[in-house]
Amino acid sequence: MTEKNGKISDDIKELVIARLEVMPSSYKLSIGSEGTFTTIQLIEHVRAEDHIGNQIARMQLNFIKALTTGKLIETLNKNG
Amino acid sequence: MDNILLVTRPKYDDGTEYLSAYAFDLLKKVKGQILTKDFEGEEANKENVEKYLKSKNPKLLFLNGHGNECEICGHKDKAIFSLTNVSLLKNRITYARACFSANILGKEAVKNNSGCFIGYVYPFSFWMGGERSATPLKDKVAGMFLNPSNEIVFSLLKGETAKKANEKSKQMMISNMKEILAMEQKNEPGATGMLQILWDNYEGQVVLGNENAYF
Repeated sequence: MTEKNGKISDDIKELVIARLEVMPSSYKLSIGSEGTFTTIQLIEHVRAEDHIGNQIARMQLNFIKALTTGKLIETLNKNG
Repeated sequence: MDNILLVTRPKYDDGTEYLSAYAFDLLKKVKGQILTKDFEGEEANKENVEKYLKSKNPKLLFLNGHGNECEICGHKDKAIFSLTNVSLLKNRITYARACFSANILGKEAVKNNSGCFIGYVYPFSFWMGGERSATPLKDKVAGMFLNPSNEIVFSLLKGETAKKANEKSKQMMISNMKEILAMEQKNEPGATGMLQILWDNYEGQVVLGNENAYF
């Protein structure tokens, strides 16, 4: 889903941005020492494919992987 | 080793203000039940913490702040623990609510000793509901992420093992994930975004070393 050079592929980038766009505009995401970001700022980082943008993409890909492999559902069911 | 809870709470940006507020809430709730030492704001620095560790020898450390693979920071991103003084964590129970520190520092902390390190191999991240940034404890969005992490320390203070404390924290995360899923079914905005960050914290939270360590 990502290209060989570690860059985010365009389709993933659009998916990540689409998900960020539906977050309430008043919400902010704290990512440790990277800082705290509004959704607009997060989208800018994803578009720029910088360190923070890649971190956001990794989180989303990790989540999609958990969804598609059934790991998320298994975890939720296992714990009642 | 003395049954003392040491807490570091730097607060100089949005993220650390929130971590500090939730850690202080925990301190208020356990007041009078155990001995505590609270390093807040500028006091959360290497000199103060090292001095205290050498003089009082607390068993449980709850470290809040920014971090990286090799450091846990205090006030203004200055390292309190790094690979040069990681030996000070030996034989203690450390919970680091800080990014990435379980990758290298945590592993070094528990090498060849009976201590335990609970921390994160990913960033510790959380959403804030924007209107509540001045009153973190009233921010229900942030509470979804920060209350499960406080649960680690509450469980340890009740005498649970590190393994059990981690499990109880993760149970609370799962409960919150289910609540978020219910929000998603009602088409409430932002639910999926919250879920993915909580899942990242769930997967990134690890126990290293002696899982049977207890306070």
